[in-house]
Amino acid sequence: MKKNEFIDQLRSRLSGLPQDDINERLSFYSEMIDDRIDDGVPEEEAVADIGSVDEVVNTILAEYPLTKLVKNKVTPKKGMPAWAIVLLVIGFPLWLPLLIAFFAVFFSIYITLWSIVFSFFATSVALVISGIACLVASVFFFMQTGFLGGIAAIGAGLAVGSLGVLLFIGSFYMAKGVVILTKKMAIGIKSLFVGK
Amino acid sequence: MDIQLKRGLLDVCVLAAIRNDDSYGYQIIKDMKPYLQLSESTLYTILKRLEAAHMLTVKTYEYQGRLRKYYHITDEGIKRIDEFKEDWEEILSIYRFITREDGSHEEE
Repeated sequence: MKKNEFIDQLRSRLSGLPQDDINERLSFYSEMIDDRIDDGVPEEEAVADIGSVDEVVNTILAEYPLTKLVKNKVTPKKGMPAWAIVLLVIGFPLWLPLLIAFFAVFFSIYITLWSIVFSFFATSVALVISGIACLVASVFFFMQTGFLGGIAAIGAGLAVGSLGVLLFIGSFYMAKGVVILTKKMAIGIKSLFVGK
Repeated sequence: MDIQLKRGLLDVCVLAAIRNDDSYGYQIIKDMKPYLQLSESTLYTILKRLEAAHMLTVKTYEYQGRLRKYYHITDEGIKRIDEFKEDWEEILSIYRFITREDGSHEEE
């Protein structure tokens, strides 16, 4: 095996370790092989003297402090690796529609929630208006159908009007709830993309 | 050989290899070859450990258009060798004790 092959294979096999450590070890082995070649040892033999890639990797991993290995696995890499950026660019036609669909779904949920709130408000206002209308109409009922009709109209007007007022208060709290829910949803979406 | 014992022994061996003159990886291995076989990976670990313990310092020099690392022993490293020599007297007396026990056992 040639020196470059050996170094390349070693590099790919050690790829889980911290980059600084890999570079330092590779330059160490590289120096060892070069020194042998300068000493008159043929390149293939110089590489063979170091041992097989498997042997070297096993020794390195066996001697590697476990805490450092675990830490390297757990600590997320800073920044995006080159392949992730390439994938992002190549995958553009795929992830963009998905992203749009994702936001469209959330937007529609948002709209739906507010339309429900709006319909409750509209109902309560309609009830209050019809209550007032009933009270106004009761005057005509008094004149046309007499005392009983008028009383019935006033009763109906008060009942409907008060129902409307109650529903309005209810709708108000509902709107408040939706605002809080929206905030939580926004934070949720943000943490999906940005992290905490 | 017991791993702990061998480890301590190897540390002192590498320090001894750079005691008189600064040396580099391949030279250290060559110097030690008549006495013990040392693999590159093991040497790397020993050098790292000694560097962390401030028993040697590392300097990189250019050699024939490439870089080569030279290892230089510190006072701390020389102290370690002296300590080892003192320890060895103790180990020898323990060795004599162990072999004497063996001998008396065989006589029974």
